[in-house]
Order: sequence, then C-alpha cells, then structure tokens
Amino acid sequence: MKQNNKQAHKFGMVIDLDKCTGCGSCMVACMSENNVPVKEDESDKKDSITWMRVYKLNNNKPFPETEICYLPRPCQHCSGKGDHGHSPCVSVCPATATDYDYSTGIVSQIYTRCFGCRYCMGACPYHARYFNWWDPKWPDGMESYLSPNVSPRMRGVVEKCSFCFHRYQLAKEQVYYDGEERIEDEAAYQTACTQACPAGAIVFGDLNNPDHQVTQIVKPNPHPEHDNHDVVGKSRNPKVFRLLERLGTNTKIYYMSERKWVRKLGDNYLDGEWEKADNHHGSSHG
Amino acid sequence: MNEIEKTEDCCGHGGEGCSDMEKKARDDKGLGMGVIFFIVAFAVCFLSGWLVFPKLLYSSKEQPFNFDHALHVSEMDGCDSCHYLREDGTYNGIPTLESCMECHDVEPLGETEDEAIFCEKYVATETEVPWLVYSRQPDCVFFSHAAHLNGKNPMDCVSCHGHIGESEKCKPYEENRITGYSRDIWGKNIWGIKKNPWDRMKMDDCAECHLEETGHQGACFQCHK
Amino acid sequence: MKVDRRSFLGLGLGAAAGVALSPVGAKLTDDSSIWTQTWFLTPVPEDGEITFEPSVCSLCPGKCGINVRKITNRPVKVDGLEGYPVNDGGICLHGISAIQYLYDPSRVKTPMKRNGDTFESISWETAISEIKQKLGDIRKSGSASKLACVSGDDKGSVAQLFQRFLSAFGSNNFYTMPNLESALALTAQTMHGEDATIAYDLENAGMILSFGAGLIEGWGSPVSCFKANASKKDRGSKLYQIEARLSNTAANADKWIPVKPGTEADLALGICAVILKEKMFNAEYAQYFGGNFNKFAAMVQNKYSVANVSQTTGVPEAEIAKLANLFVKFNKSKSVAICGRGKANDAVSLKEFAAVHALNCLVGNINQKGGAWILPQNEYLQFPDVVTDDAADKGLSAKQISTSATGFFSKIKATSKPDIEALFVVNANPCHNLHDAKYITDVVKQVPFVVSFSSFMDETAKQADLILPSHTCLEMMQDLPSGSGVTRQVVGLSKPVVDPVFDTKNPGDAIIELAKSFEGSIAESFPWDDLEGCLSEVASDIWDTLSEDGHVVVSDKAPGSLPSVDFSFLAENPATAALAGDNNEYPLILIPIDNMRVAPGAQASSAFAVKTVADTVIKGKDGFIEINPATAKNMGIKDGSEVKVTTPSGSVVVRATYFHGIMPGYIGMVQGLGHDMNNMYVADKGVNVNELITPVFETGSGLDAAFGSVAKISKA
Repeated sequence: MKQNNKQAHKFGMVIDLDKCTGCGSCMVACMSENNVPVKEDESDKKDSITWMRVYKLNNNKPFPETEICYLPRPCQHCSGKGDHGHSPCVSVCPATATDYDYSTGIVSQIYTRCFGCRYCMGACPYHARYFNWWDPKWPDGMESYLSPNVSPRMRGVVEKCSFCFHRYQLAKEQVYYDGEERIEDEAAYQTACTQACPAGAIVFGDLNNPDHQVTQIVKPNPHPEHDNHDVVGKSRNPKVFRLLERLGTNTKIYYMSERKWVRKLGDNYLDGEWEKADNHHGSSHG
Repeated sequence: MNEIEKTEDCCGHGGEGCSDMEKKARDDKGLGMGVIFFIVAFAVCFLSGWLVFPKLLYSSKEQPFNFDHALHVSEMDGCDSCHYLREDGTYNGIPTLESCMECHDVEPLGETEDEAIFCEKYVATETEVPWLVYSRQPDCVFFSHAAHLNGKNPMDCVSCHGHIGESEKCKPYEENRITGYSRDIWGKNIWGIKKNPWDRMKMDDCAECHLEETGHQGACFQCHK
Repeated sequence: MKVDRRSFLGLGLGAAAGVALSPVGAKLTDDSSIWTQTWFLTPVPEDGEITFEPSVCSLCPGKCGINVRKITNRPVKVDGLEGYPVNDGGICLHGISAIQYLYDPSRVKTPMKRNGDTFESISWETAISEIKQKLGDIRKSGSASKLACVSGDDKGSVAQLFQRFLSAFGSNNFYTMPNLESALALTAQTMHGEDATIAYDLENAGMILSFGAGLIEGWGSPVSCFKANASKKDRGSKLYQIEARLSNTAANADKWIPVKPGTEADLALGICAVILKEKMFNAEYAQYFGGNFNKFAAMVQNKYSVANVSQTTGVPEAEIAKLANLFVKFNKSKSVAICGRGKANDAVSLKEFAAVHALNCLVGNINQKGGAWILPQNEYLQFPDVVTDDAADKGLSAKQISTSATGFFSKIKATSKPDIEALFVVNANPCHNLHDAKYITDVVKQVPFVVSFSSFMDETAKQADLILPSHTCLEMMQDLPSGSGVTRQVVGLSKPVVDPVFDTKNPGDAIIELAKSFEGSIAESFPWDDLEGCLSEVASDIWDTLSEDGHVVVSDKAPGSLPSVDFSFLAENPATAALAGDNNEYPLILIPIDNMRVAPGAQASSAFAVKTVADTVIKGKDGFIEINPATAKNMGIKDGSEVKVTTPSGSVVVRATYFHGIMPGYIGMVQGLGHDMNNMYVADKGVNVNELITPVFETGSGLDAAFGSVAKISKA
C-alpha cells in the first residue's frame, strides 16, 4: 500500500509560529497523554524526554531590535526522499522497531522491539528521538494516573512522538462501531498537543484530504520539486516552510510564520541561498 | 596400560594375534557404556523436556470460582450479552461486577456452590472478581475487537477464542513463569503447534491471518501501542 | 563394564540430543526474549472503560472548564472543556498537571500538629477541637480582633465562609494576596465610585495597548487571554506592548515599546495629556466626566508633557504622540488599554491602574464592544447576616490593621506587642509569594497560633502550628466565579472527580465544622451541615442550573448604562512609589520575570511544569538572572558564570544568562522558584526572587507597589 493510494491517510501538522506563545501546554499535554515520566533533574535537555519540545529562537540582534519566537518540535514523521517512506530513522533501524506506516504516514516506534542501539537517534536530523537511560520512576501513588492506551517504556529503548497514534486507534474503534471503515472527520482524530494548545497554533489533519484545514493551509505540492526530485509535498503557501526541507526528508510538520528571519532559521542557508529560496517561493506562488 | 595404548598395541602391532571377536567385544565394551549413557541421558532429557519442563514453566491457578459459560450462554442468549463493544467502540472484555449484578443479587439465583461463593464473597462485599484472563495479551498490544467484529470481514468469537462458550468448567489458568503470559498465547502444545486458529495467539498468527484476509501483514502501529 | 570417557561423552551427547529434540530450547529462547520485553520495573496501567467528567480548575484565577478523562474511575488526563465560556477547550500546562498535584510528594496527608521542630499526625476531631480551644481563649480575653486570615482571594463561597467566620468571631483582619481582581475592583471604586469590577473585551478590541500586562504570561484569565491574543491576526487587531523586557507577550506583539519599569503610569498620563491637548477625547462620553476632569486635564498637560514623559520613561517623544493618535483613531474600532505587570499578582499600583483606566475613559470605550466594561460585582452568593455577640461587636469595632496582606505583615512586626494572636492561611503561601519573603516568614513565626489549610507542606505550612490539609483541585467541590478581566461573568462548579487520595477535607467544610463547634452566635452564623448545603441555600437562585450544568453564565453583555468618571484621585497627581535603596550603592534594577511555565501562586509548580522550563532558568539546582550582554560585558560577567546578586533585602548566588531582550541596566529573575518543600521536582531549584525585593507602599492605596528592587551584582 503506497502513500498516494487514495485510501491512505497522510497525517500532518501545520504550526503557526506567530500564534505560538511558548506556554508549554503542548509539552505537558504530550507528557500526560503518553505516560512520559519525569526525573528529579530535567535541566540536562539532552536526557530530558520531551516528545514535543518547544525551542526558543531569536534573531540575535541587540536591544531593542531583539525578537524571539517559539518553535514546537514533535517528531517530524518524515516520508523520506521522494516520499517513499524511507525516513532517516526507519532506514537505519536494524530491528524493525521503527517503521513507516503507509496507511497513515506515521513513523511508528515499538518499544518492546527496540534493543537500544540508538542508530535512529544518530540518523534523525531533528533530535526528535530520546533514549531511556534509566527505568522510569513515579513517586508513591503517581503510577495510578498512567494511561492504559500507551505502553510505559523500559530502560534501554528509544521513544518519540507517535502523533498520539493510540488516539487514531480509538477513533478507528468508534468508526468501526458506527459501521464505517475510514476516519473522515477531522475532529475524530487529533493529537493531544493540538487539542491542548490554548492559542490554537497547531492544526492537525490528513494532508491527503482536501477538506481538512491543514491541507487548505499548507496546499502541499503533490509533485516533486523540479530542481530537487527528493522534495515532495512542498507547501505552496509562501509563509509555510519545513525544517531542513532541502534534505528531502519530506517531513509532515509544516511551520508558518510571517517573519522572514524565522523562516530563514528553518534551514542552513549558505550566503545568497536564502534570498534565492525566498524569492523563488514568493514569485512562483506569491 | 591404558585403553588407547592397548588398542594401538592390538590393532597396530599384534593385529594378527587378535581374533575379530575379541576386537569387537573390546570395542563394544567402551562404546556400550557410551551408548547406554547416551540413551539414558537422551531419554531423561527428552522426556523431561516434553513432560517436566512444561510443568515447571507454567504455574497453574484455579479461577476464584467456576464459571459455567454454557449455562450463561443459554440463559443470556449469546456472548455479546456480557462481552460487548461499548458505545465508543472499545471492548468491555470481562464484565464488571456491576454488569453481573444486573441479574445477580446477594441472594443466589440458582443452587450451585460457585454462585454461592460469588454472592457471598463478591456481590455482598461489592468486590470485583479477580478473574484470570486466558486470552490477555501483553501491554504493548492493542487489539481492536471492533475492527474484527464490525470490519469488512466480520469474525465470530469462536475464530479466536474457540469453544469456550460451550464449556461448563473453567480450566486452570496457566501462567508462564518467565514471561508472565497466559499459556493460551503460546498454545497448549509446548511446541506451539496449532490445529485450530484459536490454539495460539502470537503475533505471527495475527500476521498470518491478516496476510490471508487483507493481503498484507499490517503496520506495526496497527496492533501495538 | 567401566565408566570411561566415552560414557561421559555419551551422557553429554545424549542430554544434548534429548534437549534438542524437546521443545525446551525453542521455548526458552522465545520466553527469554519476551522476558526482556515485559520488564518487571515497567508499570502496566490497568485498562477499563473511558469516561469523561467535566469540572472547573481552581489552580489560578482563570477558572477554566476542564474535562477529566478517567479509566474506570481513575483520572488519567485533564483536557480543556469544549464550550466552556471562559476557555472553550483550551488549557494551560498547570491545569493539565492537576493530575500530578493529586500525588504530589509534598502533600500533607493527614491533619498535623507542630511538636517542636517536627509535625505529628492527629485526627480531624482533635485538630478542630484544638483550634476551638485556642480561639475560645482568645475570645475570652476580649481580643477577638486578634484573629486574622490570609486568603488567596475573596471570591467564591470558601473564601467568603472564612471571611464570615472572622466576622462572626469578631475580626476585620481578612486579607487577600495581591491579585489582579482586587486591583481592578479598587480602580473601579476609585474612578467610578462603584462596587464593581473591570473586564476587558480583548477578543473584540481593535488595538490593545498593554502597559506590561503579560497577556500570554498568565495575566488575567490565562487561556482566555491566549485565545484573544491568537485571534488578533485574523481580526486585524494590534497589540502594542510596553515593558522593559522582551517578554513572550512583547515578542508576540505587533510592536514592543521598551519603557523603564515603574514609569508606566507616567507614560499613560503622558498619552492622556496628548489626547486632551489635541482634544481627541470622546466628546460623547465626556459628559459623564466628573467635576475634577478639568483639574485633571490641566494637571496632566502641565506635569506630563511629552518632553517630561519622554525623559522619565525613556520612550521617544514622537513615539508617545504616535501612540496617542493610534490609540484614539485605530481603525475606528475600539482600542483598550490594560496594565498590571506580568501576571499582575505581584506588585500593584493604584496610580498606574487609574492612569491606564483614564485612557479607556478618554477614548470612551467604557461598556463598549472591544473596550473596558464596568461590571457590577457578581453577587450570586446571598449570605444571611452574620450573627454577632458582644465579643464580636467589640472586635469588629477595631480598625483593620492594613489594607493589603504585605502591609498587614509589616505592621504586626513593627509593633512590639503582637497585634495578632492567631492566623489562618487558606489557599495562599505568603512566606514564599510576598515581597521580602524571609522577613514575612519571621513574622509568621512570631504569631502565637498559625493554622494552615494548605494541601502541601509549603513554606507557610511549615511555619504553622496546625495544618488542616485541603483537598486538591480534582478532589474538591466548590463554586468558582470567573473574574480577572473576563467579560463573561460565569460561575463554575468544581466537582470531586476522584475520591480524596489522603485524609484531607474541603476547607469550606472544615471552617463550617469549626464554627459549629463553638456555641452561640458563631455556630448560629453557620446553620449549614457542609459546604454543599450552604451553597444550595446561599446560591439558591442559580444552584439548580449550577449543579446540573456545571456552570452558569450570569451575564455576558456590557452593561447598558454608562458610569460617571471621577478624576479626583488622579487630579491630585499622586506620587509614584519609588524603590527603596540607594541608587549609587545599587546601580542596577532587578525585576521579577513572569514565566507561564512556572507557577507563582499558592501552589508550587508541578513536576511536569518544571520539566518544561528552559536550562537558562534552572540548571541543576542553579537559578539564573537575565542580563543584557552589554551590561554584563561592562562588568566582566560571562554568559553562564556565577554571580552574586545583592539587594537591600538580601543576597544570592545565581548564574548569569545573556539576553539581548532585557533593557541594559536591568536584571531579571524568574518568579516562582526557590521553593523549600519536600518535593524533589521543584524544591531548592533556583532562588525565590521575592526574598530580594523590599516592599514599598503606595501612599493612599497602601498597596505594595515594588515592581522590583535596586540591586548590584558581582562575580561570585
């Protein structure tokens, strides 16, 4: 079953960075939804498991020209070069613990299958994967708030954002109960971060479904870029970009900002490259 | 003189002087013990592997009291009066005390000893019955009853659960001491050989059926969480 | 026959063959691999039916609707409640963490009694009778007014029952912690002479001129403000943020105008002066301006000329004139001005609130769509009159010690003989949250009998003689009126969604029980069995709907009539409170930073919230100050290095972190850290900025208006 099969979903997200307030609701909603444990000291951010992490960007200009912007970063659910499902992490996993699901476009992670080699962490360009160096611990009684819909992880395995896949599973249950086959309703399956965001900065839905808001905002180009065939699904909205888009990872997390300096931080541009990219984007669709 | 030297002596130098019989008998003597030891060890290990090992591997527990499925199925008309999909599409599994109490009360309905235990120990004290679940999958598994009951190719309960609905007695619950899984997941047969689809419920069995019915094994996240 | 080497070989081979032909090998291989997957230290959460229970969150003044997901009666997740008139589905990180507060390691599990330096568990009966005994003695000695109570707020039946208990007992000394709601009420009183509150129709405002209000830092009702802020792009609305530091709100605003902190009132009055000078004020509404309007107009034009204000505030003259024009003429839709630095639960100045409100009056947005609404207080609670006896009457005739909680603590310390014999603390943590926190702690220590109703062993509970632990948010039934600038007047009902985890009580039930243990007038003032019984009577008008729907919208429209404006207070040009301390000795100014991810209120941050905090706010146990690289480099301070920060109130060692967004000459420190409690997730991390700030009292209002402190830093 391939990505562009009409039956297949392609779940994705667009995050309006101009609306994001950096409040952290998405991070906590994610932790609470997905049984992410908490350590006594979480200030070493490399070891701090945050499937959804909000980065603080700044334009590096002195007072009072300084500007800051927050960028929430879940797993980017890369479709890989040419949109063929060869995500950077999936390609290197020796255990098939992480896999690309063509029916949803979601990169899965099966904790019981993972043996902790961490190749995927090395392969991920977005630092979206985290390793459990320790067994999770909850203080007395706190274990009783754990959700049965997501398996708690053990030490020695890698974990990451799953687009709240269990919510998709539950939504499917409802759909089957109602005698249908497919989730069509946008509201039926939403991730915890999308639901929690008090600013409504996150829009989540099926990029293959033209009725979904995310598709209408992103307007993904179904054809490969003419100068880089690896890149598929580039947004036709000039304010929308993806992280390190030119790598051809074809992430399904799109970001949106009116601010040029923010868009520019989405990739590592060499001198002159950004202007070209920006103009190209602006002229062909603007 | 040790045996090797003796043999060498006999066959190497004094070959002419040794009769075939003698040679054979001498050879047999060494080999004979070896064979006996081999046979005994083989028999012991083989038999214990088949007979003792499963006993050691699985603990056996009785249910809190016997549950007569056959009786309930005939009284209640089918499995789904007690095991059903909730309105949100999730599966209720083993009914809670509350649903049992829709029919049962502190006063037993029948005259069985088991119902007496149920009423006295559980209904009267409003304690959930700690049933041991034969078909419980591990925590990493998400199984959608709705998909199998209401999906494109609806299945009946027997396909996976066998004829438990016709049973009058609950068999002992056997738990694998190493994995903590119910024996029914691997199957009663210690080799894991199955005759019926419901004899085993490992991932390969799900994949096999999925491949047959849907043309592909399915994605990891379809059944994992 | 001899047992020889071959026999052993045979034995080995036989055993190997036997095992190989038995299922042992295959089975053990499979089982042992599964064994590593079902790791014994990994919990397996129990499955069950998913249900949702709506309630209302009481963790902050926002009072958002929440939807608690449960698995067979076990709460597993808190979501925002769709359709709730305050937050409509949105939720902040602290609300989601309500689930963690249930099992917080620092929870007080039973009533506790001080025994020297430690606490011992006692029963509720003993606890209530001990308080009765003590309070009875105080009353007998004829000093009923020597009982005081410090509460988080004075809205809702729980707070009002405490206030009522004090009245029945004979004391006026009921204080609330500094909060936006009381500042708004005081402003309405001062400017309109009405017992009212002010609400801002932010979601319809064309231009929001914010004098430091942290719209997305937790100001007002946080989620409601987030939503209004997020929709501004679609509505073509603009936010102008005036403050010294590039806060998240400033970064998200359409324009950030840096201003010296503490001069916001000057800037507001300067803009008033331009509006008045250019005769741009709303002529229609001007007919409601009271007698002192002319005096006010003359005063501001005289004292707050653009040149003067530019000098004081650091905002260029042209900018001030431009702001005034924009504020009046923005797109014909209403502009609104708001204030209260950060979350506005810290320092509050009446002058500033009044000056900013004067702007709203001048453009005539009062009770208009997108403007400031003067709403009558939400009087859904109709308590019967308090029954008093002679002792109570005598106590009530005594004057209230101060008008603010900080003032109260300062005054009782100043007198050699304690004016206070007993203190109740409910839904508040003054020993951490008030300025000069160490000094406040010393004062609380001196009070002979302190009763804390905290759920947690926080800084104030630690100083108590008795702790009567409260339920947490998810365990408690209580009415929660909206406020804090929200235009919709909603009363929400928080419901117990889970049985109490520990031996705790609803403080409302506890105070009723205590009152009933007295004889005579105090018990007579509390004729109810419990809080629910009380609510069903005193809120009888709305109780049926409230208990059924979980909330009641009392009003969601602007009042039809227009209130008159009294400019007398401003016309006198009240003095701006200046920070205490010598500028030469302390060349820098320390300002507290409000960070949405850190809870600054009665409840310390949850483990979840602390986890989200950046490593430039907490690193290990170290706290940080933000400093402009220009300022830091002058002093030779490196990014990340340790520095000693000294203010007139104390000194601490923290790390410095460079931030271009803070005004040179200022240093900032995040509020709500440095907790001293038995909770490894939050305790001892960073320092409590309140320990470094000396309160300064505004003349007239008596409010603590210390927006920061003078400070100096040196390499540690």
